[in-house]
Amino acid sequence: MKNSEESDSYIIHGKLALPYTYFAGRTGSTFLTTLRDQRIIMGVKCTACNRVFVPPRQTCERCMADIRSQWVTVESQGKVVNHTVIRYQDKHLPRKPPFVLAMILLNGADTPMTHILEGVNPDRVVKGMEVAAVFSPATTNTLLDIDHFEPVAEPP
Amino acid sequence: MEKEMNVTDNDNFDTMADQELIVLRKTISVDQKFATGPVMGKFLTALKDKRILAIQCPECGRLQSPPREMCAICRVRNREWVEIGPRGEMRMMEYCYYSSPDPLTGESRETPYGAIGILLDGCQKEEVFWHLLRPEHLEMVEMGIVMGDRVTRGTRLRPVWAQERSGSIDDIKYFEIDE
Amino acid sequence: MGFKKKNRHVGIVGIGETKFSSHREDVNQPEMIHEAVKDALEDAGLTMDDIDCVVHGNMELFEMVHQPDLWHTLGTGARGKDAFRLTTGGTTGGTLVGAADNLVAAGMYDTVLAIGFEKLQEGHTTGGITNMADPLWARKLQSGALTDSAAVKAIAEFGPDRAKKAAMLYRIIMDKHACLNPNSHRAFGLDWDQMADLMENSPPLIGDLRLIHMCSQSDGACAMILSSEEKAKQQCDHPVWIRDHITIHREETLNLCVNHYPNETTHRFAARHLYERNGITDPLDYFDVFEMYDPSAWWGADWIRDFFLLEGDAHYRLIEEKEIMRGGKMPINPSGGVLAANPIGATAMVRVAEAAKQVRGNAGPHQIPGTVNHAIASSFGGTMWTILIMLEKELNW
Ligand SMILES: [Zn+2]
Ligand SMILES: [Zn+2]
Repeated sequence: MKNSEESDSYIIHGKLALPYTYFAGRTGSTFLTTLRDQRIIMGVKCTACNRVFVPPRQTCERCMADIRSQWVTVESQGKVVNHTVIRYQDKHLPRKPPFVLAMILLNGADTPMTHILEGVNPDRVVKGMEVAAVFSPATTNTLLDIDHFEPVAEPP
Repeated sequence: MEKEMNVTDNDNFDTMADQELIVLRKTISVDQKFATGPVMGKFLTALKDKRILAIQCPECGRLQSPPREMCAICRVRNREWVEIGPRGEMRMMEYCYYSSPDPLTGESRETPYGAIGILLDGCQKEEVFWHLLRPEHLEMVEMGIVMGDRVTRGTRLRPVWAQERSGSIDDIKYFEIDE
Repeated sequence: MGFKKKNRHVGIVGIGETKFSSHREDVNQPEMIHEAVKDALEDAGLTMDDIDCVVHGNMELFEMVHQPDLWHTLGTGARGKDAFRLTTGGTTGGTLVGAADNLVAAGMYDTVLAIGFEKLQEGHTTGGITNMADPLWARKLQSGALTDSAAVKAIAEFGPDRAKKAAMLYRIIMDKHACLNPNSHRAFGLDWDQMADLMENSPPLIGDLRLIHMCSQSDGACAMILSSEEKAKQQCDHPVWIRDHITIHREETLNLCVNHYPNETTHRFAARHLYERNGITDPLDYFDVFEMYDPSAWWGADWIRDFFLLEGDAHYRLIEEKEIMRGGKMPINPSGGVLAANPIGATAMVRVAEAAKQVRGNAGPHQIPGTVNHAIASSFGGTMWTILIMLEKELNW
């Protein structure tokens, strides 16, 4: 019988669909329920290195210290420290392109949090821009209970 | 299944507790594309013509179907193709009361079902072909056993071909009793 | 095989385990991992400053996070350190210990932290395993992690009566062991008089594989710290020495016709090579304890024969005479084994950890009587892959 050739190769379409569960844990749940119920953004502070982590975590990965009980409230307003413009469309993305994903350092926090930035032309986003959280009217029990951030003042 | 397994758990975590714990249930769903490659492609294409092909190792002579590019035991490229079956003898069945989610949908298939190993005509020993048994025949088949000198024959089976064939595993609907 | 002797000896100086459970809603993944890491560091009397390299592993698709080692840095302590993630399916935990052993033995690092973990309740085990199969053929047919091929084989060889009894006897012995281990996920308190009932009434999964025969789906983590001989002796009064380990793979084809399989199993192949190169002629006599990766009672009962290079029904006689129980000739899984807890990415490491604790003599309530000088632990994964790891109390071989 004739040997196989490259022309025998073709594409079969498939899919990987699997159910899964995510447990936020105690620390993550405190963060999410406070955000949802009180519209307050909380972090935890490492007293060894004096850094405030938002979102919170149980351990400081620098000091390996247990910081789970050292809750602090941070402002829902802060500065853009970095950003990117998403220009492609995919079903897993939270917005239609183009949209901005920004790293936002909330006032009182030492770690930036990544979120959606709206209300500004993607080409006009600058480092240091003051932005504030806009909370979502409906809850998903996720970080998207903050619907997005938007500039505090009109961009110049 | 998890539920049944955990009936008598001795867990002592305070998860009931003083605090609402967030649990999110999701389904991951990712589109995939697979290149058959020339070897698997040739095998799958032959199914459209109701033919089952195997590839043969030039050194140890064993047949593999579905075919593999090489014999992993001898570490040589397989080159010779032979047609096998399509009838054969049942050698092994996994009589499944529990089913995993279908990767295409995340949904679980109907149970019970039988995943079977068939020794297609022209094959020997461990050269079994893996497919499904016609559900109505689940209780009516015997596995052939080879255990030292003791040999019993398994039920003869034949493939039931799908009306529309596209060169995939679904070109065979299942195998059914051929007696 | 291209086997080379180690450059230097490697000792286990720290062991950490979480409690194993069906669900841990109270912690996320790095938080759970950190429990085991902290436990291991405390056990060794070390801090992360003493760790040169972190080797981390999981079973892909089982907890649905891509590149979990990035996120897990919060719990593993890998920040600013050399780190690797390994994932070889069920064998992952054994691969982690083997890799850490190799890294230290080679002289690359003096002290390595190996961490295996799983949160099986977050992913879908059997669904995940189905995606391991060839997407163009076997994915449609595979029954996840479940198979009754071992039952079919055993029944064909020994008849249904003896085979079913041996599997259930094995199961109850494992449960009796599990009841003594405070970390067990499942410890039912089964007794001998329940055998007939369980054989009839436990829900069937596949063929003669019933729910009671099968391992659990557990959450939990395990961490181990391995050091070079010089460091180990400084860090620890009684390190447990890793004498040798062997890893055997085979092709992916899932061959259903196991009742006429012409090749030696990977278990027997691995055992034969390991014992030969270490001059062990009677493994049943040599080893004092065996921690086996036993995914089901059917497999566990069957595999004793291969791991100890036995013939005929010698393995069944060990079970029937309860010689595999604590206090018996060859205690198998004093921890309760995989039937007691199966956090897959950690499971194979837990076998080594539990064997090492038995050697140290401080396993806890499930410590077996007598001195344990020589221990062996197995890993199982993929489509019949085997790892065997040999532990010694003294550096005298
Ligand atoms: Zn810190
Ligand atoms: Zn060959």
